[in-house]
Amino acid sequence: MFPISEPKHFAEIIPYLANLWREEGTMRFIGTVLNLGHGRSAAGLWWKLCLATGLASGGYALYMLVTLGHASFNTSSDGVNWGMPIATYVFFALTSSGLSMIASIPMVFGFEQFNPIAKRCIWLAIITLIAGFAVLALELGHPFRMLWAMPTGLQVRSPMFWMGVFYSIDLVLLLIKFYLLWQQDWDSPFSHFIGAASFVAVILASGMLGLVFGSVVMRPMWFGSFTSIYYMLTAALCGAAAIVVTTYMAYHFDRDRMPEPLRSMAGSHELPMVFATLIGIALVMILTRFWTGLWSNLDGFEGFHQLARDPLFHLEVWVGLALPFVMMISPSMQRREGAQLTAAFLVLAAMFYNRYEFIISGQFVPMFKGSWVNSLVPYTPSLTEWSLTVFGFSIALGLYALGEKLFHLSATPSGEPAVEQTAEAAA
Amino acid sequence: MAKWGMVIDLEKCTGCQACTIACGMENSRLPGEHWQDVIFFNEGQYPSVQMKWFPRPCQHCENPSCVAVCPVRATYKTEEGFVLVDWERCIGCKYCMIACPYGVRFYTEEKPSYGGPDVKQVFKSNDAHSWNPPWKMPDSREDWNHGVGVQPHDVVSKCTFCYHRVSKAPKGTADLDPGNPAQREFTPACVVTCSPGARFFGDLSNPRSRVSKLIADKEGVRLLDQLGNKPQVYYLTGSGGAVPSSHANVKA
Repeated sequence: MFPISEPKHFAEIIPYLANLWREEGTMRFIGTVLNLGHGRSAAGLWWKLCLATGLASGGYALYMLVTLGHASFNTSSDGVNWGMPIATYVFFALTSSGLSMIASIPMVFGFEQFNPIAKRCIWLAIITLIAGFAVLALELGHPFRMLWAMPTGLQVRSPMFWMGVFYSIDLVLLLIKFYLLWQQDWDSPFSHFIGAASFVAVILASGMLGLVFGSVVMRPMWFGSFTSIYYMLTAALCGAAAIVVTTYMAYHFDRDRMPEPLRSMAGSHELPMVFATLIGIALVMILTRFWTGLWSNLDGFEGFHQLARDPLFHLEVWVGLALPFVMMISPSMQRREGAQLTAAFLVLAAMFYNRYEFIISGQFVPMFKGSWVNSLVPYTPSLTEWSLTVFGFSIALGLYALGEKLFHLSATPSGEPAVEQTAEAAA
Repeated sequence: MAKWGMVIDLEKCTGCQACTIACGMENSRLPGEHWQDVIFFNEGQYPSVQMKWFPRPCQHCENPSCVAVCPVRATYKTEEGFVLVDWERCIGCKYCMIACPYGVRFYTEEKPSYGGPDVKQVFKSNDAHSWNPPWKMPDSREDWNHGVGVQPHDVVSKCTFCYHRVSKAPKGTADLDPGNPAQREFTPACVVTCSPGARFFGDLSNPRSRVSKLIADKEGVRLLDQLGNKPQVYYLTGSGGAVPSSHANVKA
């Protein structure tokens, strides 16, 4: 176990690391840090794996961006302007929003049976948002210019401006909220206020992200208030799937190793029903949007026909969403560990593809390019774009491993430390 | 204050694309980065298929969606009606390209849209410019705050209505007529070069300008008017013609 687990203050970490360095010498110290402690652990393994993957993918993306610039993307002014990095950003940003929403179930709405996942939700919301911002920054032409140009421009008519404002507020509130839980402050009026403010911020942030797409009338596959509502509700689904996967991951994919309040929650009826409800809502929204688009003649809806011919879209809907829905409403399957994990993994994969196909298909019909380009433009992500996506996942999973080691993410208001149980003890 | 606008007579346009070339030379555009394009599209089905063409500069809309969406106010509309990009503010988010219904905006850092060598690599720049074309306007006329000249890396570019020429026109000018030697140097390059004389440029706010009279007398129409952007480019379609009502050419 890493000896600085759950330090009470950041200030404790630096002297501890300095002492460790003096005691162990540089090489052993680096080894200990890379391993997140002295012994072998799953978190240490994830951390190392993600460091390696992140360095490789991030290094390759940076090399390509420095040498070729954004010409290393397969996006084009004549076709798809926003490619896979934007889809990755949207996936992470909405997953973060969803995790905040799930954390609000106990912290704002008082359903205390969900307390054991609240702290983990908030940590995950922070790191997925950081992963999303990192990918977005590498997609933008001048990310640092944004820091002064947005506040000095104050273009209040732009949905993207408000998206930036609300996601920034969201990140600050998440950090405060996590700090409070870290200090075991679950019930003070300030803690409740931060929880409620964070919930409002996250609803506005995900809604504004939806409005970035929903406000553009010239892109009919995105246009309308539907998009904001769709983004808010499917964000909650992504959050639910992410917390199921990561909670199991923290206990070696073995429910018997979970501490008692968490084990009861995972084996209860409520969790799968919440999950099933969210999948059901997403399915209804995706299918009604698809159905409407397929049966309408509006110029620009041709992307729906293209989607109908896309096998991955059908995998997304039927295997990635419909199958988990059935698994989670089935009384014989919904409480099983394997079924919950399979459903959560399938939903996460499906929702990643959903973000991708939503963004790409909205740009299939080119704007006034005539016969200079195809009637429906082709797009396949380049290796640089793929590497940015891998980089984002490396950041999220690596920081998650770090969080598992540093903090007691299963902590509850009762203050009892969520001690990992062995399989034998649980038996 | 003038409100500059353009009128294009589709009965006169021959689809020769001289406007595209003139714009590219005047503004040092990359191959394929056609600020002023002529769109070719098909209508009907074999055996009664027609090939049509349609000249399309930036529409410099009265209510431009690109200006509304820009999160940093890099894209803006001037009092004289120009829609311009400040290359010193642009963050390269490409939201304006998403929100422009006319497809007139271009991102600098892309793979060449035509086969063959990447001219940005062939004519490499040693400074902040994205490339160093062998033909370009004098550096003294370059104006990045108004999107004029060879652009820097990672920004969005678009037609400026030849801001560097038109903004020098004497105050109170109603029309910029390329046939008038005194006005020629202030007139947009595409208007100057149009050999059939299909293009007219002038002050839309002046009821006595030729462009205002043409719009009134020949029932000038605007492209995709239903979207509410209210372009400042008008088309004269003649008795039987029309501007495309769709994104031009999704279905042949």
